[in-house]
Amino acid sequence: MTVRPFGDRAFLIELEQRIDPAIVDHGRAIADAWEGRGLGDAIPAYASVVVSFDPARTPWREAAAVARSVAASSWGATMEGGGRTIEIPTVYDGPDLLDTAARSGMPVDELIALHCGQTYRAFFLGFMPGLAYCGMLDARIHAPRLDAPRPRVGAGSVGIANGQTLVYPVDSPGGWRLIGRTDLRMFDPRRDPPALVRAGDRVRFVAR
Amino acid sequence: MMHVGMPGLRSTIQDRGRTGHVRDGIPPAGPADPIAFAAALELAGCDPDDAAIEIAGLPFAFTCDDRRIVAATGREVRIRTRGHVPGWTSVLARAGQEVTVEGTAVTRFAYLAVSGGFDLPRVLGSRATYLAAALGPLPRPLVAGDTLPLGASTAGVESAGHRIVPPAYGRVVRAVLGPHDLRFPEETVRTFFRGTFAVHADSDRMGVRLTGATLVPPDEELLTCGIVAGAVQVPRGGAPIVLLADHQTTGGYPILATVVQADLGIVAQASPGEYLRFQRVTPEEAGRLD
Repeated sequence: MTVRPFGDRAFLIELEQRIDPAIVDHGRAIADAWEGRGLGDAIPAYASVVVSFDPARTPWREAAAVARSVAASSWGATMEGGGRTIEIPTVYDGPDLLDTAARSGMPVDELIALHCGQTYRAFFLGFMPGLAYCGMLDARIHAPRLDAPRPRVGAGSVGIANGQTLVYPVDSPGGWRLIGRTDLRMFDPRRDPPALVRAGDRVRFVAR
Repeated sequence: MMHVGMPGLRSTIQDRGRTGHVRDGIPPAGPADPIAFAAALELAGCDPDDAAIEIAGLPFAFTCDDRRIVAATGREVRIRTRGHVPGWTSVLARAGQEVTVEGTAVTRFAYLAVSGGFDLPRVLGSRATYLAAALGPLPRPLVAGDTLPLGASTAGVESAGHRIVPPAYGRVVRAVLGPHDLRFPEETVRTFFRGTFAVHADSDRMGVRLTGATLVPPDEELLTCGIVAGAVQVPRGGAPIVLLADHQTTGGYPILATVVQADLGIVAQASPGEYLRFQRVTPEEAGRLD
């Protein structure tokens, strides 16, 4: 584990360089501990946490000491067993469904069954408001991102890539393989919290 | 009420940014040039939490229904009422008087604050506009004919004529090494702090693209991690991007250095074709130099 300065008002705490649900949980525990101190925001990702502070309120040295202490003391404070289970009703009719099934050497129905067939963890949110990276997919349907991202992907599109799955929360460019869509609003600024799926939640896709 | 006459090319309501939601993927937004923004609020007698208008593409013209203290800041901005007043100065705008914020060819972002502030609701704790997700109380660029509610103002004539010295908007930008510096070739770290970079036209509130000295990104892929404003990403091609207020909350490109908060405005206000150089500082030095 390393703690590195990230500009003059943040630190990057790096745990590992691999994707593993236990490491993801550890990062989230560190983020919770930092935010619990009231110093500023924390952004957990796969295996790291960015913690921010305001140097006008907290001197750099003090923030650095808290970052090291929070990173060291949150070992084992995982949230395994925590989190809600969110069901995402999905119509499997995405433009990349046929190609992706063919690439995996299986009929479309089998790819759908494998995608619906397990409960995923929401590792973290990023890239855009309400976008949760969920995994891991069954190894038989792992596939890389598209060579050329689409300039526009509609909100509610369900995509897979790199062993993970997500739902695009707002219209945006995107390079994941689109296999379906949902009517659920993944992001709604009038809701509190605005993101339907939050880090640590369990996610199931239900074929409709 | 404020009535917008000429709206500029892309003008948005901004406050100092949306905190507390980055974990849900929501960028902070807020001003691209935080120092100019804060100065505009102070000059207009506003609270630091109030909102101002960030204007890209001057001129911007407006009237207010009642007497207000107004202030415009940014790089090379001025205010025209009956005559011209330099930017970074508080100005009395009479009821119904047309006020125009003007700039020069190098002006990128101007900030306009009005005494009493904008009486708009907070969305997710902030009045900042994030256009990519239509977030904020007025989640679109302002258009001619817009009417914006103003808060109560007690500012009188005596509040006019105050001035804040604008920053120099020089060519040297202070940056802290890292966080991914150890993954880059040593030569690339040296090149970054010795080289000169030109601002690319394809730059906006999300980030400023630079070209010039050749940087060599690490061979290994990095796992996506969280991001803060000022991060200098080095994508595959080696042309760095300095991320600004509308940056995505996470990213997968390695970050060689991070511009200090006090110098974000220098980067944001640099015009296409202008040059920037980076000076290495420690994070503690950055805090003292503010």
